Amino acid sequence: MSISPSRRWELVDCIARRTVSAGACRPTLGGVLGELTVKPLTGIPTALAVLYAFWSVFGSFAGALVTDGFMVRIFDGYWLPWMQAVWPDPGSVHYFLFVGDPAAETCFEAFGMLTSGLFVSFGVVLPAILVFYLMMTLLEDSGYLPRLAVLMDTLLHKIGLHGYAIVPAILGLGCNVPAVTATRTLETRKQRFIMMTLLALFIPCGAQLGIMLQAVPDTVGWVLLYLLIGFVVFGFALSRVIPGSNPEILIDVPPYRWPQRTNVAKKLWNKTRGFLTNAVPFVMLGILIVNVLYLTGFIGWLADLAAPLFVTWFGVPKETVGPLLAAFLRKDLAVAQLSTIPMTPYQMITAVVLISIYFPCVATFAMMVREGPRQLLAAMGVLAVVVMIYGGLIHAVGILLGVA
Amino acid sequence: MAAHNHRYTILMMGNPNVGKSALFNRLTGANAVVSNYPGTTVDVTRGFLRKERLEYEIIDVPGAYSLEARDAAEEVAVRILGGHPDAVVMVVLDATRVERGLYLALEVMEHGNPLFVALNMIDAAREREVSVDVATLQEILGVPVVPTSAVRGEGMLDLVEAVHRAQPPDIAAIEARAFGEVKCPAGERPLSIAGTAGGVPE
Repeated sequence: MSISPSRRWELVDCIARRTVSAGACRPTLGGVLGELTVKPLTGIPTALAVLYAFWSVFGSFAGALVTDGFMVRIFDGYWLPWMQAVWPDPGSVHYFLFVGDPAAETCFEAFGMLTSGLFVSFGVVLPAILVFYLMMTLLEDSGYLPRLAVLMDTLLHKIGLHGYAIVPAILGLGCNVPAVTATRTLETRKQRFIMMTLLALFIPCGAQLGIMLQAVPDTVGWVLLYLLIGFVVFGFALSRVIPGSNPEILIDVPPYRWPQRTNVAKKLWNKTRGFLTNAVPFVMLGILIVNVLYLTGFIGWLADLAAPLFVTWFGVPKETVGPLLAAFLRKDLAVAQLSTIPMTPYQMITAVVLISIYFPCVATFAMMVREGPRQLLAAMGVLAVVVMIYGGLIHAVGILLGVA
Repeated sequence: MAAHNHRYTILMMGNPNVGKSALFNRLTGANAVVSNYPGTTVDVTRGFLRKERLEYEIIDVPGAYSLEARDAAEEVAVRILGGHPDAVVMVVLDATRVERGLYLALEVMEHGNPLFVALNMIDAAREREVSVDVATLQEILGVPVVPTSAVRGEGMLDLVEAVHRAQPPDIAAIEARAFGEVKCPAGERPLSIAGTAGGVPE
């Protein structure tokens, strides 16, 4: 049997009265902090500080300390020369596939499975995502994310979303795959569609951020700025074009809690295991496929075919076709490959933005299929249009600034 | 090996962020992601617990505020409940804010599955000096109520044992018992009612 909602509320009220009694309400440190971090006047500076701290720890620990301090020295100084010396027959197909360029001086340039593949996986991306997820876990477990959602609410409503959309957006900075499922907490189809499309387009993942800091450090700021502008501009446009509603919701803000050491360790271990079993094979496969396509001449043919579009419209060298193919498997790999193609700084910015937006990686794509094939088709349509418009626009800005 | 008829299916249901996944991990040793924000679990996770040759399949259902689904995660919750008419339901309440979880609890009770209640985060409630009268709650609802703390591992054995005492709730009887002795007049404290309850006819 069932009863009416109002009767149910009465019953809830009555049961609660009879069973729950609260002691004197004393202000706690957590409670005070909870208030301060959600009120705009104190909350917004805190949010900026938190995000800045996140980014600088990410860059200095993962990039400067581990990768530059140890990994680059080990891989470029010892591993690459050793592989080049030991592997037989430079010039053979197997040398090309496993070691790559016999004259390469860095592991980015070599582009063999055992040189670039291992370096990208373990030298750059693994330290990056470990540091990233350590901080992400602190944000998740402390209870800060819902507070950020409250602060972002007004802003996100302007692009057809509500504050809670910040959760999938931030998760997406780690990896777009769980972010796609996290859009389930959004209420309407419109919100989910906008969020999923913006995720696929403008949110770079942790692996990509890590490799960008390493391979193209001078362009990172510009690339992120272009992605942020794209997120806001196209979000604004989509929210006006897509039919549907964007209702206000209540956000349930939990109290702050101390992250539990065991839980943090467990999450990090799960991420590491996921990286070893799901990401590393794709990096290797990506290098293998791209190298085979180079050998067969397919990439050269495709580059010539796409040259008008790439050179005239996007303003980037036609050789960027190769990395764009690799980007479907792993964006980090694509950025690594891109960094070795000679081009102007502005072309590099454009090319890295294109790598980010042109298509989601295969893992994200598969997850989007699962969440609704029809929505996915629409998202792909939007994506194609946005890539053409935004790619051309970035080129135009470059021409206007005289740097393209 | 456990025979088939000794297998129980348990659905864990409750508001978002009350610790369902943490309890689930405690019970099954699984690796469900646990965070401190509502909506961490948006998909169904299954795990198994074997104890004294009995097998329990435990299903961690995404959190919901009510069964009138508001988003895709809540739709999953409604679908899972509808798809398991024979399952035992473990309603998980946050002991620091029982009143918030009771609405969903009552809705789930109206479904008629055998049911029991985990009163989770009991350690946090104690710390904040929120006291929940477990005996009265159990008496009103007519189903087992087990105080637990997933973080500290408190009450896990009691929880497994409560599966066998789970009862299909009777909403009419709950209403009668809750409003029972005296209709709760709005705004009046329950303690004063309890004080005068003796002289009021049932």
